[in-house]
Amino acid sequence: MKHSVFTLATGLAAIAIASQLHGSDHSKIFAALAMTKAQESSPIPTDSGVFLYDEASDDWHRTGPVIQAINSITTDPSNPERLFLACGNGIVRSLDGGETWKMTSGWRESDFTKIAIDPKNGDNVYAASVWGISVSRDGGETWNPSNKGLAEKYSRTIIIDERKPKRVMLGTADGVYQSNDGANTWRPIRTSPKLTILRIARSQANLDLWIAGTEGQGVYLSRNDGKSWTQTASDLADKNIYAVAVDPFDASRMAAAGWGTGVWISSDGGKTWLDRGDGLPSQNVTSMTFDPNHKGRLWVSTFEEGTVYSDRLGEDWQDGGLMGAYVYDLGVISVP
Amino acid sequence: MLLPTALNGQQPDPFLSDAELAIQFRERCEYVIDQVVKNTDPTNTARGGMFTVAANLHRGANLEWARAHIREANETPTGAMFWMHPMVLMMETGRGVLNDDDWAFIKELWRTYFPYRGDTENHWIMYYASIYLAAEMFPDAGPDQWYNGKSSAENMAEAKEYISDWIHITTSYGQGEYDSPNYIEEYTRPMALLAGWAQDPVVRQQGKMMMDYILLDYVVENIDGLYGGAHSRLYPRYLLQPSLTAGAAHGWLFFNQGEYRPNAGNTLIALSGYTPPPILYRIAHGRGDEAYVQRELKRTRWRLRHAGPDAFEIDGKSTTPVYKYSYVHPDYILGSSQGGLLQPIQQQTWSLIWREDDSSGKTNTMFGLQPYSSPLEGTMYFPSDWDTVTDLIARSKVDYDSPDKLEGGSPYEHVFQEESTLIALYDIPEGTRFPLISTLFSRDLKDRVEDQSGWIFGHGGPVYVAYRPFAPGEWKEVDWTGLLKSGAGAWFSTNFEELARGSQCFVSESLKNGYIVQVAPISEFESFDAFKKAIRELPLQYELSPTPSVRFTNLAGKELVATYGGQLSVDGKAVDHSKWKLFDGPFSRAERESETLEIHYGQERYKLDFKSLSTETTILEAE
Repeated sequence: MKHSVFTLATGLAAIAIASQLHGSDHSKIFAALAMTKAQESSPIPTDSGVFLYDEASDDWHRTGPVIQAINSITTDPSNPERLFLACGNGIVRSLDGGETWKMTSGWRESDFTKIAIDPKNGDNVYAASVWGISVSRDGGETWNPSNKGLAEKYSRTIIIDERKPKRVMLGTADGVYQSNDGANTWRPIRTSPKLTILRIARSQANLDLWIAGTEGQGVYLSRNDGKSWTQTASDLADKNIYAVAVDPFDASRMAAAGWGTGVWISSDGGKTWLDRGDGLPSQNVTSMTFDPNHKGRLWVSTFEEGTVYSDRLGEDWQDGGLMGAYVYDLGVISVP
Repeated sequence: MLLPTALNGQQPDPFLSDAELAIQFRERCEYVIDQVVKNTDPTNTARGGMFTVAANLHRGANLEWARAHIREANETPTGAMFWMHPMVLMMETGRGVLNDDDWAFIKELWRTYFPYRGDTENHWIMYYASIYLAAEMFPDAGPDQWYNGKSSAENMAEAKEYISDWIHITTSYGQGEYDSPNYIEEYTRPMALLAGWAQDPVVRQQGKMMMDYILLDYVVENIDGLYGGAHSRLYPRYLLQPSLTAGAAHGWLFFNQGEYRPNAGNTLIALSGYTPPPILYRIAHGRGDEAYVQRELKRTRWRLRHAGPDAFEIDGKSTTPVYKYSYVHPDYILGSSQGGLLQPIQQQTWSLIWREDDSSGKTNTMFGLQPYSSPLEGTMYFPSDWDTVTDLIARSKVDYDSPDKLEGGSPYEHVFQEESTLIALYDIPEGTRFPLISTLFSRDLKDRVEDQSGWIFGHGGPVYVAYRPFAPGEWKEVDWTGLLKSGAGAWFSTNFEELARGSQCFVSESLKNGYIVQVAPISEFESFDAFKKAIRELPLQYELSPTPSVRFTNLAGKELVATYGGQLSVDGKAVDHSKWKLFDGPFSRAERESETLEIHYGQERYKLDFKSLSTETTILEAE
């Protein structure tokens, strides 16, 4: 792994994704991050943005504009030329694979955490923020708040049910909520914990399996497509779990990680969990994802101490770069 | 270069004519600009800043240096709205002076540097005032010419809407980042930019009227230019020396109070052409010998989590009322808010400042706090994670997570005030990170004595102070000298040790706690001993368990009853916050949700009406 040295962008506000791609991959690992470790005497990180892992060069390369506080990136499942950045400033969109960008939200919208795009109708875009939900019905050109039914607006994670795209799952400060009408209205899922949901992930191998990380109550699982939730991983029961993931090739394999926990792995669908924190550069984990391009590979970002990956479910860890970064979101996006 | 002669050694006269006031204000503005130009080093293109460039462009001085510095300073733009507004100032003063190459360079910066909009009210208003004016300068620029992919028309429309909304909320529910001696200029800068340079008459009028509004807010709790009372935000060195604040610098510029100090905000304002309404000067200097109570309604910063039972929503965002109470005496200001977590990090819940003949170098202040820090507070106001927010705050606000800090709100602090008497009660749960309370006793509070009665006495300037702790404590030096890790941040903490040396804090580690502060002018007592005797004789009862409470008859003979978690009762009548007005005092009045402000001085009445964007001066009949 090369150790990237990020430098502040000096000119280009946009760097096209296409120009950075090599090989025939159609998806890439991304990291939405701020370089906070070297941040001293200032509220401003030394660098910020979205970086894509390029396997050919074994390094991370910036994509998109340099803006402080980019929390996540999303691509349209049906058109990877359409990209959305969830930013502190609002929502920044590209329609040309990252050649040009526009902040399409206005002054009323800010502090977005995650964006989800309807896989069957790209006009429907849903964006979670710490101030609530914003919805676009015109492909992200305009935005309106849509918080009806929410007891708490603070939202960190949002997922569209690809089987029923009008069904949207939302992690709020009052537990998991769901909408069945394309985010027009929300209702709580009674069995989810009534506290802040930090992250929700869904198994791609078994769409009935969902996993959630919480603030203060560890990990919750749903095995019936989000209808009911039960706590799992008893060793993590009082922890803040910022990262959860399910292996896209094997629904029995999942991971959870948070502050001071290292990484915990289950290989039996959440029945038992093993501590696989040994060898991590830090036990404080902020983000995590399985790699769809490498069966069984798990990427983990620690707070300011670098990103690592494991091809053996955490039995050992390999340096993945991004030293000094606070990775808000580590995930996978389609690329043109 | 001399100070304007009319200002040196003369007692300001509140009854100067409008013409004389305008001339004197203009002289001070010119002096500010002269000083900036005079102190420009044209041989050093690496130093200066855009405020200095603007002053030179305005004067037509050092133009080659200015052009070179614009380029050198912008090799790697940073600072977001703190980059934007000085750039706009430079651009406005550069009209007709900068050449095509300069403008091409400047335009390219606005195309490529994508500023963060920030996370506070001052960030947003600076951001939008700046982008509005920048876009107005290039009205035909398309989306490809701006960092955010929006055309000039789109940027102006968005900015205009935000500015109007901010004014609406501020004049309806109170300012969120209220009454900050530091951050006042983060509001006067963007408002003066709009007042001075907006071409749209609506936006220009909004800027001018909000300047009047902010300055009224300041002048009614001002003593010789020092901003008294409770504050939303203050940095440590400015807590210790009120004369160093931007507010004090504004006091000199606007009202000829205190001494001239270089101040970037003053440079911008001097260049803007904004002139304050004369009635504000008259309030600053013509209050006479009467003390008065100033009540104000403000609000907390937007709360994104843990909003609490007192919260209400404005356009879908949560906030909580802040009830400010200040007793403004000719010799001192004692002011407070109700306590609690009203602002993140830098809140000053109560303070006393007193008049000094020359406040330069003086710690003419007293205040107390429970040094609280927690992820609860951080995540209430910032979109950061529970486990990282405290650490990240302390990257720039180094003292935030220190038991020795001098500023900050606490959920375990309740404060009550009746004129010159202040009561603070604390009920700190076991396990609180810094389980203590701390009160500053300045080196300029003289002849401090711990009396056998339990009172601690002292005097500062023309003021006697009595402090009655309800639990034992110990004296500690003000020992936080934490320069930022890199040694940078001179504006934040340089000379802190020098500023703090000789001052002490009375620190008590009892979890159930409280104290009374009783202030009185020296002129009302024959001697210090007479003051002490009068205080000792005041009836006082207090309980700390199970809930701290106090019953105290103050020097004015009023019986005050207060319980932690409850309301203050004065002579049996409970203080009712429910009808608190935005401004309620002898010089100002504004009802909640009125979007108006009436300013009074004598027979003069000056009314700001933000709904009609009009001002009206009327003269009442003499009584």
